[in-house]
Parts: sequence; structure tokens; C-alpha cells
Amino acid sequence: MIKQAIAVFLLLLCLTGCAAPGKLTAKAIKLPDPAQADPNGSLILALGGEISVINPVLSTDTSSSAVEGVIFNGLTTINESLEVIPELASSWTVSPDGKIWTFKLRPGVKWHDGQLFTAADVVFTYDTILNPKVNSVRRSDYIIDGEEIKFRALDKLTVQAILPKPFAPFLTRTMMGIIPKHLLEGKDINTASFNRAPVGTGPFKFKEWVTGDHVSVVRNDNYYKGRPMLAQIIMKIIPDENSTLVALEAGEVDETGVPPKDYQRLKAKAGINVFEYDALTYTYLAFNLANPKFQDKRVRQALAYATDKEQLVKLIFKGLASPAYAPSAPISWAYSDAVEKYSYDPVKARQLLAEAGVKNLSFTILTNQGNKEREKAAVVLQQQFKKVGVKVDIRVMEWSALLKIVNSPQAPKDFDAVLMGWALGLDPDAYSIWHSSQYPTGFNFIDYKNPAVDRLLARGRTTLDQAQRKKIYAQLWQVIAADQPYIFLWYPKSVVAIRERVGGLSRPGPAGLMLNIEKLFVTK
Amino acid sequence: MKSYLRQRLIQFIPIILGVSLLSFFVMHLAPGDPTALFSDPNVNPIELARIRANWGLDKPIVVQYFYWLGNVVRGDFGTSYTTGQPVLQEILARLPATLMLMIPAYILTLLITIPLGVICAVKKESWFDNLVTFFSFAGMATPSFWLGLVLMLVFAVQLHWLPAVGMYESGITGASLFVRGFDFIRHLILPLSTMVLLSLAGITRYQRAAMLEVLGQDFIRTARAKGLPERQVIFKHALKNALIPIVTLIGLSLPDLFGGAFIIETIFAWPGMGRLGVMAIFQRNYPLIMGIVIFSAVLIMLGNLLADMAYAWVDPRIRYAKK
Repeated sequence: MIKQAIAVFLLLLCLTGCAAPGKLTAKAIKLPDPAQADPNGSLILALGGEISVINPVLSTDTSSSAVEGVIFNGLTTINESLEVIPELASSWTVSPDGKIWTFKLRPGVKWHDGQLFTAADVVFTYDTILNPKVNSVRRSDYIIDGEEIKFRALDKLTVQAILPKPFAPFLTRTMMGIIPKHLLEGKDINTASFNRAPVGTGPFKFKEWVTGDHVSVVRNDNYYKGRPMLAQIIMKIIPDENSTLVALEAGEVDETGVPPKDYQRLKAKAGINVFEYDALTYTYLAFNLANPKFQDKRVRQALAYATDKEQLVKLIFKGLASPAYAPSAPISWAYSDAVEKYSYDPVKARQLLAEAGVKNLSFTILTNQGNKEREKAAVVLQQQFKKVGVKVDIRVMEWSALLKIVNSPQAPKDFDAVLMGWALGLDPDAYSIWHSSQYPTGFNFIDYKNPAVDRLLARGRTTLDQAQRKKIYAQLWQVIAADQPYIFLWYPKSVVAIRERVGGLSRPGPAGLMLNIEKLFVTK
Repeated sequence: MKSYLRQRLIQFIPIILGVSLLSFFVMHLAPGDPTALFSDPNVNPIELARIRANWGLDKPIVVQYFYWLGNVVRGDFGTSYTTGQPVLQEILARLPATLMLMIPAYILTLLITIPLGVICAVKKESWFDNLVTFFSFAGMATPSFWLGLVLMLVFAVQLHWLPAVGMYESGITGASLFVRGFDFIRHLILPLSTMVLLSLAGITRYQRAAMLEVLGQDFIRTARAKGLPERQVIFKHALKNALIPIVTLIGLSLPDLFGGAFIIETIFAWPGMGRLGVMAIFQRNYPLIMGIVIFSAVLIMLGNLLADMAYAWVDPRIRYAKK
């Protein structure tokens, strides 16, 4: 009897196992012809997390931002080459001292409720962010060394921003979505019902939000860049990564991110295009420099020599990442790889440790739960460091608990080393990460101090000329890499799978493939 | 009976106070705080401190507790940190989806497991009993996320019979009630099957054991000795007695109906309470956590009360007399 039952069970197992194809061959990307676009088409996107508020001033999560991206517009936006380009502002000028920025607004733009968009809305948006009662984390984007940027309307279509001092990253901060004054003035924005039924100027109008399930938006026929080709976008919340992949294969969603393990399989699958591109992030192993173990630069350099980044990337990502050497990303305009690379050299590592007089070094690497790549990397590093006689313990912690240690306002902080990542902004300014003033409160949580770095950081953010800034940052990366306060580990690639019925995609890049939302379409 | 009820209901008050006090402090013992999620190199920690102060988190914890309690007494459970919406509204928004999955799952499980347990007990060690035992243990050992994904792969990706995720077809909100109802049922089948398949094991085993015990008792032998048909012995005499432990089990699991099933909800993208609760904890969304805790505490107490009252019905020896 039991035998029969086992047979049934094995049959069940086989049913699922047999689904996997034998040999995988990658196929070419096939994009649909715009002539076949369905004028009543709906695009279905998957969001990995719950949506909290649909208001660009308040939201902090990627799901909410994704929805805001199709409903709201900023003064500026970015293009495929990650350059800042006009959006609600048609042009701008900056005064010779770099302090006064004047934006000319696009005339005739209307809110989804038919009201005219004006300079008052822009000023209202920034004033709201700067209001201390508003729970917006974006406030610090508009404060330079403790002083607020002032926004004022010169006339209905001209806005001026007055900066306390020149500040190069300012332009990237004008991408903030603009919210309507006429609907929000005098209301408590933290709890306003607007946040669940927003009104913007963007290509799509809000239609409905079913909590925990989906948000849908419909075409804005009066969009200033022209009528969108899609009739509707539905954003479904699917918290589980594997379920999202299944939903893509079942045809229930049109797009999803792809984890490395599924890359080859999806690449071979009919009806699905797979795109890969560099992401604007890097992963690192940071040493607590307030901890006596890591104060000697030679110890950090030794560990850098003991790190085989090529192996790390190969083992964990199967080629979907590249080794990192500097705190910038290759796709950033400020990237430079003219830095010390510490190519894998265990002999040199042992030698440096001996020189520093360090014997039996042992330390603990902390990393966050739920990021499989980081958890695996910690184990690989443990093995690699063992080869040079360094003992590593690994502690995988819940995110909040880990941040509690790293962001503790008390010095010295209680950790040896952490394995984490930074998502970089469009602007290369890295003041909050490396400047000595950003310790113990701030993101220089390792207590890194280098006067040369402080000077370069200050010059980098106050210089407006990009060519000059490029030189400053190249120098900065060089100094930081020489100090190795972090071992820079890898640059991940983003992999996105999109069903072949979706067209009008922009060039793959960190800004995604859906930059020109109004040109997206699906075939019948 | 009435005074017994009143007495039980009055007992609710100190229990809820105790639960709220304990959970409020335990919750704050967990490291981290709600602003941890905003951590980003472009956000100045000063801003995070400002937001914490806006939420009153800079005050001593005892003050925070009494502040919270004062509002609750006035019927205000506060607003969620992430959405800015009233906590009660957040919970109620998730309740229908939860109940629409959990109640059918519960009823179906009972409808299957109780007869199954009875048959297994009556036909002890038959091939049928062995088969059920085998699948019961297999079910207990199967992780729900695995079974869920397997069912999705087979029925949604391979066969295209059923949808993989969600509660409704995208964009169906305008359709007629009939179409929407049919669509909902199609979406319900996979998560429901996963839940039922995995929970078959527990109650079947309990029912089988309870039934076996009753069947071995003297009054059953008497019933058989006086020549009653076997059907009557089993269903009239044995089953009613064998249901008593099951009633306890059901009473205790009643709150699960409202608590939802986190893993199933996550896998099938079902917008239920389980996901809301777990997310609230990860986000350290204190008002929402407290709201859910109080809500569940009340339900657990009501569940127990119902179970105790059901005893009196199944077992005439138990009566709740006036003191």
C-alpha cells in the first residue's frame, strides 16, 4: 500500500520537475511594431511591496514611487543617458555665482482635475517639504549646511530657487514630483485623503487603489507631451519574487525583475524579452575604523588583497555583476577606475599583516537578513580570509536591528565590519558617506577621517562645471581606495524580463526601460 | 447563562489592559525604530529625529503608553506611520479579503477532516486509514510556499486553467457581479487548495484519535450489545462525544480566521491580514502593531468564550450555573 502512495507522490513531484526544459539557449530580443499597438491596451506591472502613500513629498518606498512616476511630473526629469532634462520647467538659468536658479515653466499644463498648473504649485510643493511638521524625509535635500533653499514665484510661470551657497547636486533634486496647491493647501498633508486618490499632471490619471492588491491609472488625454498610447496601467502588488516570475510566465504581469538563478531559464523562454543593465549601486565590506583592529591601513589593505572579487562575482552572480574598486559606479559620469585595485594576492596579504604585526586576526561580519547575495558573499569572504589566517564569524541580522547598531548616535559603535550596499544618486556627491563631520550621526558610520577627502568632497559639491567635477571625483576615489575604509566588492546588474507584447521601451539603463511612459504600448 | 456571560465579558477588560501593556513594552524592546526604513545616504539623520519627534517617539515610553491608551479609550487607535491612514481603517480594509479566504478554507477543512477522521477510526489500520495517515504526515511535512508554487506552476503556467496570483483579474472592477464572482472563485481555488491540503493532517489525526478513544468505551459496547445498527452507534453515540476535543481545537484556532495566513497570502499575492501584520512588525509601525494585537486579543477571547459555550451544547454534563 505504502508503495502505491509513494508512487503517486513521485508522480506529483515529476509533474513539476518535468516542467524544466532540458537545454537552455538564449534567444534574441524581439520588440513589437508600434503599428500593432492596441489603443485599448492595459500594461500590467508587478510591485514587490505594499504601496504606502501616493504623494511624492511623503513616500519613501519604491512601490509608491513607481505609482507616482506615472501620475506626477517634476520640474525636471532624466533621460536614458542619466542627464537632467526639462519637464514641467521648459528651461532654466543659473546666476554666475551659482546661487540663483530661475526656472521657466511650461505654459498650458493642466492638473488631472482641469485646473491650470502654475508657479504657485511649485513653491507650495517645496514649502511643504521644508515644513518641519510634514513627515518628509526629503527635507534634507533642500537644506545646505543647515540653511534652507528658498523658493519663490516671480510670476505665474517663473520660479526662482535661492541657494545659500553654490550646490552642484541641486539640479537632480528638482526632479521631485509637484503636487497641486489648490487641493492640499491648509490640509494636514501627513494624513490627507489626497494621498490615497492623488491628482497630478503626468501621463496617467489615478483610477483606483484596492489596498494590498493593486493600483490602476488611466490615460490622461490632455498630457502635455501628447496622448499616451496605453489606455491603462495596472500595478499589482505581488510580494513574493518567485510568485512574480510565475505570474509573468502565466501571462498575468508584463514585467518583473529577475534573480540570477532564473536568468538563463527566462532568457530561453519564448514570448519574453530579458534585458540586463548596470545598476547605480555598489556592495561593500565596511570596517569600523574606531575599532583598534582596523585602524592600521595595512590591515585593511591586506584584507583587500585577500579578497578574490572575480571568484566572488562568479560564484554568486554567474556573471551578472562585476568587481568594484571605487565608491562610484561605472555608468556614472563621475566614475574613474584609475585607483589602486588590490588584485587578488594572498602572499602580499600575509606579508602586510605580518608587517602590521597582526597575528590571529578575527572579526565578525554583520549583514542583513533577506539579501541572499550578501549572505552568500559573507560566507565566500570567510573562506577567502581563512586562507590568509584571518578568522571571520558571520552574523545575519534583521534590517532594523542592523541599522540600530550602524546608525547608533553614540561613538564608538559596536561592530567590526558590515557587508552592505549603497544605492547612488544621480549626482556623485558622496558627502554624507565620507565626510568626517558625518560621524557618529550621519552615514560615515565607520568614523572615516581624511582631511584630503573632506576638502575634495566640499569642492566637488560646490563646483558647477561637470568636467572640473569629474577631475575632483577621480581624485577623491583614488584617495579613498588607497585608504580602503571599505573593500568595494561588486556592481550588480539589474535584470528585467518583459513580455514581448510590450513595446516603446527606452534604452536599458539604471532609469529603467519605461522612461517614455506615454510611448509605451502593448499589442493586441 | 446570562450572568456567566456578563462575568466573562467583564474579565475581558483587565485581560486587554494586560495584553496591551505587555505588547507595548515588548514591541519597543525590539531594536530599531520606524524611521530605519528611510535610511538612505541622502537623508540626514536629523530629519529622522524630527519625524520621530512628530510621532511622539522622543517621549519616555511610559508617557507614550498612556498617551496611546488615552486615545484608545476615546476610540482612536492612531494612524499608521507608513500610510497616514487610521489604524482601524487599515485593519478593516484587509478584513474582507482575509475572511473570504479563511472561512471557506476553514469550513472545507472541517467538512473533509471530520468524516475522514471518523472513517479512519472505524476502519483502523485498513488500507484507507494507512493512505490517509501517509498523506496526513506528508501534508504536515510540506512547506506551504513550496506546495503553493507547485500548484501555480502546474495549474497556471503549464495548464493555464487557473490564475496564479491576486484576488481578481486586473481591470475587472467594472464587470457585472456574476462575472466578478466567477473570477473571484477562479482566483480562490489555488490558495484555498493549498491551505486545505496542508491543514487536513491536524484535525484528521485529532478526530481519529478522539474517535478511537470513544469507540473503546463501555457505553459503545453497550450500544452494540443492545443490537443498535452500527451506523447509529457511530454517528449518534460515538461521534457526538468524539467532537468535544475538536470543539476546543476549533475554538482555539478561530482567531486564525482573522489573523490570516502570512505565507499563503504572500505567495498568492492575497491582500490579507497576515501580510499586514508581518509588515507592520518589520516596519516597526507601532500604532498598527498595537491595533492588530488588541484586535486579535479580543477575537481570541471571543473564540474561547464561544468554544466554552459550545461545550455545553455538545456535552450536557457541562452547565454554566449561577454561582
